[in-house]
Amino acid sequence: MRVTPEIVRMGAFYAGANVRVEGTTALDEKIIVVVRGPELTEVFNQTGRLGPIWVSTGKVAISGVPSLFLVFCSEPVNACLTRAAIDQYGLDLPALQKMMHIECKARDCRRVAEDYLLYKKMQGSYRMVNGGFRMTQPDAGGVSFTSYTLDFVLPRCAAPGQYQINVLECRGGEIVTSSDVPLQVVEVGFPALIGWLASQHASSYGILSVVVALIAGLGIDFVAARLFKRGIAGH
Amino acid sequence: MWVLLPVAGISNLLPLLVGVGALVGFMSGLFGISGGFLLTPILMMIGIPPTVAAASDSCQIVAGCSSATAAHFRLGNVDVKLGMVLLFGGLTGGWIGVRVIKLLRALGAADFAITITYVVILGLIGGYMFTESLRSLRRGAVVPKWRRATQGQRLLSRLPFQMDFPRSQVRHSVLVPFFLCGVVGLLAAIMGVGGGFIMVPMMVYLLRMPMHVAVGTDLFQILFTCAGVTYMQATTNHTVDLVLALLLAAGSTLGAQAGARVGQRLRGDQLKILLASVVLLVMLKMASGLLLTPQIHVTPVRGH
Repeated sequence: MRVTPEIVRMGAFYAGANVRVEGTTALDEKIIVVVRGPELTEVFNQTGRLGPIWVSTGKVAISGVPSLFLVFCSEPVNACLTRAAIDQYGLDLPALQKMMHIECKARDCRRVAEDYLLYKKMQGSYRMVNGGFRMTQPDAGGVSFTSYTLDFVLPRCAAPGQYQINVLECRGGEIVTSSDVPLQVVEVGFPALIGWLASQHASSYGILSVVVALIAGLGIDFVAARLFKRGIAGH
Repeated sequence: MWVLLPVAGISNLLPLLVGVGALVGFMSGLFGISGGFLLTPILMMIGIPPTVAAASDSCQIVAGCSSATAAHFRLGNVDVKLGMVLLFGGLTGGWIGVRVIKLLRALGAADFAITITYVVILGLIGGYMFTESLRSLRRGAVVPKWRRATQGQRLLSRLPFQMDFPRSQVRHSVLVPFFLCGVVGLLAAIMGVGGGFIMVPMMVYLLRMPMHVAVGTDLFQILFTCAGVTYMQATTNHTVDLVLALLLAAGSTLGAQAGARVGQRLRGDQLKILLASVVLLVMLKMASGLLLTPQIHVTPVRGH
């Protein structure tokens, strides 16, 4: 199994990355490719009704689930694996919901879990896709394997970090082979420089921000004043 | 064309960011407001994290305001003397406001307090400005009632430290603009905005300044206040995205130029009613967020 590229470089004009997963599998096996981001603890405001208005009723912390969760299946995941296997490996959203750890009032937790999954789907961080694989059988007859290629776009919302691409080959409702390949996402160039300055040299970065903003504003004012003086405003 | 915002950690469309900046910059030059109460919600709508939106907003206000202040200065609309008094009052009020927010966050009530403050203040100011401006426009060119000295104004004239402000053609105790801008600074810190949409009406109705001088002078004090806020946000919260701020500034500085020139062609009453309409629209948007059932009941934690 091979993943291309192994390192995604986020430069100044990054708009997501095209990733290719290639490999071979037996003819009678089904394939599931799972892309998982690092597990983070995320804090949210919980909203509830107070009379006619909606207010923040408290904070909830959600952990135990990946920041990014993309699942690509050659067939619907329920047709590839048993429910127990899906839950064990966390291969769909109901399985993720069972793995989620939520710090909130007991009666609210189910609603919070559903809202969190909906939020992540709307953000584009959680996605389940059926199909998208290109299968190629070798020209020679009598072979029992086929090559597969999956092309997908790593979404723009995937933050820098270490991701895991997990390829599962399934037969008879069970996983027969599992392969993991890391995928690293790193900031490079100007964004990396700005990010480093902002976090490591905050005071200098603050002064730089003010000075650059002043120069930018006055500089464009200088240019615009010349432009308007030449009669553009008179049109 | 997409651009990666390094501190926000996401990519967004470059023309969209510049266009949003231009819209807000135009309003900055037209009304003498920073536009923060518009820009932060718009940035959040296009996917920028709330804390980064608020902090980067302050940085782009510095760029937009420097251009707009320079334009108004050339047009003779900046009262530097009064602006310095307002600035000191605003910074004092802002310092107090930051501590109030800290207390509210500890109580878990900051988000609701901020939203309800927006709705009440915008509703009061926008409503008063709209009705007063409409009445004035219908009457035509008449001496406005606020030009005649009221009992309250006669009381204020007895306060100590009276000073002439020739550019604004008014005489006040320095305590009056200092205190007024202190209140605005307090509200601005709570609401995360520059305060122009509060300050401009206060300068026109309470300090009795001409509308165009109120616009230019307000931009002058916002410039320095937001420079301070930008530095504090960068050092305390690390949420200033310079790339985002510069793209917004590129649009806003050009928009401010056009706004300042369009503003000179409008009468004070026309400017007031336009500003009042914008303020009321934003108030209605905020109020709808409180009243309508949200699609999801969890939202990312906001910050200042």
